[in-house]
Amino acid sequence: MGSEFFLNSLLWWQWGILAAIPPAILLLYFLKLKRRPLEVPSTFLWMRAIEDLHVNSIWQRLRQNLLLFLQLLFIALLALALLRPGWQGTRLDGERFILLLDTSASMQATDVTENRLAAAKQDCLNLIDAMESGAVAMIISFSDVARVEQTFTDNKNILRAKVKAIESTNRLSDLEEALRAASGLANPGRSSNTEDKQDLQVAEAMPATLYIFSDGGFREIPNFALGNLEPKYVRAGSETPQNVAITSFSTSRNPDHPQKLQTFARIENFGTEKIECSASLYLNGTLLDAQQVSIPPREKQSAGASGVQFEMDDEDEGVLKLEIDVKDDFSLDNAAYTVLNIQRPARVLVVSPSMSKSMRLALSTDEATKVAQISYETPAFMESKGYQEGSSSGLYDLIMYDRCVPPAPPQANTLFIGRVPNFPDWTAKEQPAREKQGAPSIYNIDNVHPLTQLVDMPNVIIVDALDVTPPKGGMSLIDANIGSLLSITPRQSFEDAVLGFELVTTADDGTDKPTTDWSRRRSFPVFFMNALKYLGGVSLQANLSGVRPGEPYPIRTLVPVDRVRVKPPQGGRELEVLRETQQAITFTQTEDLGVYEVREGTGSQLSQQFAVNLFDARESDLLPAENIEIGHASVEKEVKQGRDAVRKELWKWIVMLGLGIVLLEWYIYNKRVYV
Amino acid sequence: MTTGERITTLLSPQLLAQLERLELVSRKIFRGRMKGERRSNRKGQSVEFADFRNYVPGDDLRFIDWNLYARLDRLFLKLFLEEEDLHFYALIDCSDSMTFGEPSKLQFAKQLAASLGFIGLCRADRVKIEALGTSRSKPAPVLRGRASLWRMLEYLDQIESGANVPLLQSVKDFVLCNSGKGIVVLLTDLMDKAGYEAAINYLLTRQMDVYVIHVLAPEELDPELTGDLKLVDCEDGDIAEITMSRPLLDRYKRTLAAFIEGAREYCTRRGMNYLTTSTAVPVEQIVSSYLRKKGLVR
Repeated sequence: MGSEFFLNSLLWWQWGILAAIPPAILLLYFLKLKRRPLEVPSTFLWMRAIEDLHVNSIWQRLRQNLLLFLQLLFIALLALALLRPGWQGTRLDGERFILLLDTSASMQATDVTENRLAAAKQDCLNLIDAMESGAVAMIISFSDVARVEQTFTDNKNILRAKVKAIESTNRLSDLEEALRAASGLANPGRSSNTEDKQDLQVAEAMPATLYIFSDGGFREIPNFALGNLEPKYVRAGSETPQNVAITSFSTSRNPDHPQKLQTFARIENFGTEKIECSASLYLNGTLLDAQQVSIPPREKQSAGASGVQFEMDDEDEGVLKLEIDVKDDFSLDNAAYTVLNIQRPARVLVVSPSMSKSMRLALSTDEATKVAQISYETPAFMESKGYQEGSSSGLYDLIMYDRCVPPAPPQANTLFIGRVPNFPDWTAKEQPAREKQGAPSIYNIDNVHPLTQLVDMPNVIIVDALDVTPPKGGMSLIDANIGSLLSITPRQSFEDAVLGFELVTTADDGTDKPTTDWSRRRSFPVFFMNALKYLGGVSLQANLSGVRPGEPYPIRTLVPVDRVRVKPPQGGRELEVLRETQQAITFTQTEDLGVYEVREGTGSQLSQQFAVNLFDARESDLLPAENIEIGHASVEKEVKQGRDAVRKELWKWIVMLGLGIVLLEWYIYNKRVYV
Repeated sequence: MTTGERITTLLSPQLLAQLERLELVSRKIFRGRMKGERRSNRKGQSVEFADFRNYVPGDDLRFIDWNLYARLDRLFLKLFLEEEDLHFYALIDCSDSMTFGEPSKLQFAKQLAASLGFIGLCRADRVKIEALGTSRSKPAPVLRGRASLWRMLEYLDQIESGANVPLLQSVKDFVLCNSGKGIVVLLTDLMDKAGYEAAINYLLTRQMDVYVIHVLAPEELDPELTGDLKLVDCEDGDIAEITMSRPLLDRYKRTLAAFIEGAREYCTRRGMNYLTTSTAVPVEQIVSSYLRKKGLVR
């Protein structure tokens, strides 16, 4: 019954009465046509006046009976209103809505008409249309960042325009920031001390319904309290999306044949069918090699995966592109890029009163000379103009201070050996007095951190050591009974590593005497190699495929220029990025996938390139989530978007129209505007 | 109704005093039948000198200017202007349609005819006021001299409406019966379904100086009718069904204006004088102002 267009609201005899009204009106009209006779001197002029009216008499008759037609129309409208025309519509309950629209890369999937974002936007527009008048809504678009597109307003036109203006991004998704933005008004802040009995809400809570238009391709958010937000999840995407994705792509030197390069890629199948496809490798647009890959289908939550490996001759520089020729619902992850840049050796300065032989040895291995350009100076050099300019302009990637401290923090990563830096964080009052505490015994080394990776120090004898427990923000890499032996602390965009013991000590006679037997261990050169690679920034350059869309990319320049120009993969205008008193220039506009070209200063020489790839299994996995986890709540997908089914009826409008017609009739009757 | 009352209803004493100073003017020169007070450009016997001309044998010796003969030794004849009377006709349409209005159009026409007739009587003109449609057996009296005022008013008083003779027919009768030339004033509402043009043309055939005074009642000029009406023509019972509305009223007024303008143009083209007047306008004003401008009186 509810879905029918008409709804009868009268009984048959009532309809009979209604049906009798039009004939009655007609009858009254015929009866009414009794004209008052009036004698006039002559009908001569009157006849002439109405003469031309008789020419189109049908129309005249119609016009003369305008009132009759209006009355009949009114009755017809009344009958129509009594039929209660209407349709099955929906109504949104609630007064405040927060609409979260996912704009992450996966929303570009074309498994639904046009794409998921378009479908989600349409859902969103439908929802705005269904809002009761007076209800307010706010629009937030989110990928890995959230953006408030529109603050609370009841103007549906603005809301519609804002929704329509939302565009997709290539970024990953993260709901948390969007949720925080959304909960700002719904859950007003409290004082941070929850134990405080005086803790009062600073503003009145405004409960809102939170609509999340997404495919659910984001991680769970365990530590979020929804509070006054009532979440609803409007799922975008079909049940069986097909997607094959390159989820990683990297290049390295073949350890067996150093003159050869190896390229690895991992291809995952998120669909339900086995996929046979070919993967083609291009160097600077020229096809190098191709392989046939067979990728098994997904099994429940885990995607089917297959690896491809290419061997190629050493290339100094170039852009490698891997492409798979499958037609799936998501094209962004069907190609991946990696860049072979000329490896720039790290510029390293070692300041030491007397260079120990073991240290010099560790820094002059073949491997070390390949990755770093090392210069050695005595502490007296720190007074010179050359040092001051070099250390403040970012000339050095890494400065090692052996048993000495610089007058001011340099614009470089540092490694302090046997001394604690005199930087503000370290000299703060709450810092313990750094005094030698005798022989420590090491009980833990962080094997994960790149600086201490593969550094094994069993039974290393250390004569005397300082506790170098780092200030807030730092982390200890080597823990000993006296505290920390090696710690690393961030400073601006740099890192300061502090080793708590001297390698050698200068005796009274001027000769160096070792204070540890670490230099005889294999871990000693490994540590210095790690230091060169990690603190010298070499490892970062080697990390060729680490940039994801939207992530900032630090550009290390060959020469200390104050600006670089970056050409995005889609071409177009070069973007100029200025150095901001940092060692590296940070480029943030990495929205597009592909290879970015970097030119230094004002030169036209291509200095380096970097690639931005999606490489995110969560985005590539197009299967929309059945529910999303927010805090302790699991939000099921909405079947009907949580709207109450309601019959939308027209009768009010019809009756209003009828009243308008009655008014018009009254006006015509009084003014006699017709002939 | 006594004669005095008639005078006051048709012509008030003030009006009479005003009219005494006026005279009827004709732009055309007519030969009168009798000597009157009116100069004619015909040479004749009067005291008013006009011109000299050479004597030709057979001329009346009485008119030779002997003084001139004495001086010039040539015979000249003295010419004098002839003084003649003027024929003045007032034709009153007395169809039923003239009974409308307050005062009725007929009454108004009578007043106007009386006024003009009185002027003519004062100037010793030959005045004949005739109701159109009157039978030939009872012709209207021909009046002359102030003393005939009473007769004229008596005749006017007995004129009644009801003679619904077509305008053409009545004018034709008038023209056939009255051969004299002079001024004709036609007082009518021109409401003849057959058209007024032929009737007016008849008047022209006598080469008379024709004045058409179109008398309309305020009810005709600006009808105040409302509702659904069945208009009945008082003369022929013709029926027009109308539903009054502003557009229809506008249309009627446009038709009336076109009708008046058509009549004016028709008359002007044929050398006739045409004047529309409403019965609401006082007769004094029409005579002393409008007709003076038209040149009928001076």
